[in-house]
Amino acid sequence: MAGVVAALLFGAAAALRAEPLVNPLTADDDTVKLGRKAWIASGCMACHGNNARGAVGPDLTDDEWLRAYSDEMVFNTIKRGRSGTAMSGFGDTLSDTQIWQLITWLQDENRKRKAGAK
Amino acid sequence: MLPIRSSRRAAAPRLARLAIAVSLATTCGAGVSLAADVVHVPVTDDMLLNAQRESSNWLMAGRDYAGTRYSPLAKVNTKNVKRLVPVWNFSFGTLDAQNTTPLVVDGVMYVTGSHGRIFAVEAATGKELWSYAHPLPENIGKMMCCDVGNRGAAVYGSKVFYATPDAHVLALDRETGKVVWDVTVGDWTKAQTMTVAPLVVKGKVVVGMSGAEYPTRLWIDALDADTGKQVWRRYTIPAPGEPGSDTWGTTDADIWKYGGGSTWITGSYDPDLDTLYWSTGNPNPDWDGENRRGENLYTNSTLALNPDTGDIKFHYQYTPWDVWDYDGVNETILANIDGKKVWLHGDRNGFLYSIDRTNGKFDWAREISVVNWATGFTPDGKPIVDPDKVPSYEHKAVNVCPASEGGKWWNPMSYHPVNKTVVVPSREICADLLSGPSERVEGKYNLGLAEADWIKGYGQLVGFDAKSGEKLWTVKAPSPFTSGVLTTGGDLAFAGTPEGEFKAYDIRTGEELWSYQTGSGIVGSPITYTVNGRQYVAIPSGWGGWTGWATWGGKGGAPHLKNQRKGGTLFVFALVDK
Repeated sequence: MAGVVAALLFGAAAALRAEPLVNPLTADDDTVKLGRKAWIASGCMACHGNNARGAVGPDLTDDEWLRAYSDEMVFNTIKRGRSGTAMSGFGDTLSDTQIWQLITWLQDENRKRKAGAK
Repeated sequence: MLPIRSSRRAAAPRLARLAIAVSLATTCGAGVSLAADVVHVPVTDDMLLNAQRESSNWLMAGRDYAGTRYSPLAKVNTKNVKRLVPVWNFSFGTLDAQNTTPLVVDGVMYVTGSHGRIFAVEAATGKELWSYAHPLPENIGKMMCCDVGNRGAAVYGSKVFYATPDAHVLALDRETGKVVWDVTVGDWTKAQTMTVAPLVVKGKVVVGMSGAEYPTRLWIDALDADTGKQVWRRYTIPAPGEPGSDTWGTTDADIWKYGGGSTWITGSYDPDLDTLYWSTGNPNPDWDGENRRGENLYTNSTLALNPDTGDIKFHYQYTPWDVWDYDGVNETILANIDGKKVWLHGDRNGFLYSIDRTNGKFDWAREISVVNWATGFTPDGKPIVDPDKVPSYEHKAVNVCPASEGGKWWNPMSYHPVNKTVVVPSREICADLLSGPSERVEGKYNLGLAEADWIKGYGQLVGFDAKSGEKLWTVKAPSPFTSGVLTTGGDLAFAGTPEGEFKAYDIRTGEELWSYQTGSGIVGSPITYTVNGRQYVAIPSGWGGWTGWATWGGKGGAPHLKNQRKGGTLFVFALVDK
């Protein structure tokens, strides 16, 4: 009986859970440029460096961050911040679209970096 | 009950204070034992005016009103510094930039941490007496260009004062840590934030503001130490019609409301001239000067102020029309050299200055690091700018030296008044800069920077003859020295590195004599003091702040510092027996 209840609850939870967020944008030149613009306008480089390769804040272009975390986690970190750290949420100054543009730029930097390393 | 003042005080005023302390201790039933509880004797104007002679204490961020960061203590010296070992440490409980300078009053240390915290601890043992954490808005981090740090506290009477990132100034009871008053002096949602260590002058708590990377107009405030009530405010950007308002060009009528001019480094005070010296930072937008053509007074200047009114007596401007973010906010050290009263100022624009502090006249300037944005000075002390090194929308200025953080970054230098030597933490780093149109939105970055590439360089600690400006010695290092400097009567200069090494040098030669690895980068400032006759040396460790030089650009920097471990610990050292 308990197993049945657990299964029902699990099924209900799964049904309620929204699909995980994924970056809806494609990495065309315009989107990448807009992402770079959002990066500069929001002052992200003050902590993460001009090209997001890390300063006092972590490198955001390496696989460790971009690939180890889902698009949704990256999106939520930028939108809501990380409690207890200097990373504030930018949801009040960047629209969701701008955050995805910014992520697109980061992902493009990641691709360029790996291509350059080959 | 509070820790007791010891009998180590020798001067007459100190004896008088000791008598008060003993009386209080007796009244309260405590013995006059150094091991007993301590009495917090009020910090008086006389103590502050004679802080240089308070050899056991460290009473203000710059140690004395001249801001020398020199202590006459000599028990730890060039001969025995190798026997310096850690005797206690203290965790701040927070990460990010630990920019503080601790204070010590009669065996009690008052030290601020990042994220709005302050602590009182026994200076001989590290035992916490009390702590206070100011609640911060969740999103304060993005309103601070350069981390959620704090540069230290101030003491006066029975209170300790400090400023918080969200622009509160607090007075706490030194004995209990209870808040006596809490005033809000700025609007953090407009990036009017605070990291400064206050300075108490003539019963007023003087504080400055951070925030010039955002469009805002900043100031210096003097608050009544008893109540927190504002006594005066000095805006650093003149309103229309005020002197200097005609130095902001003609294309932007509102520029004066948003022109920056931050004041986040503690000033100095000359009681004989009754003048407060306080420096100002960059104009906003930082790199885009198109709509603010002119000298942009009073940015990048040191203001000589009437401490009773905040009125400007005179000023000297280091970088007119700053389009490099040279941000002249750094400290002024008041020195008397062969009868001449000067202030010494190491600027991010790469020059060490000597300025006549009776009138603001240019004395001399010497290169701390390679400088090419200016080719020299006019006779009245204005820099002669190389137009090829001026970034614009169309012109990428290549290999501009120094890069935006100097020269000398904000970390304070120290002046050894016996050797007449000033020790400057520095760096040799240049940059390629292209400015770009900026967008003015309150509470959002407004840098005016299209692209920047920092060029790989190195760090250095430089000893200068304070009279001539001649370089006496230079210590080179893989990275810039990112701590403040302490000099002592033991002929030592202490400084720290981004790699976490806390080092002691012979001030006469620059020879490295001692080093200790603190585990995280050092961006705070060292002090020294005594308790029961034993000399201690303290340094905060905890990496953070703006480090564009480290990894900003594609051409280098200091990649080994990327992802440097953060921390938040105060280390305290003393000599171990042979």
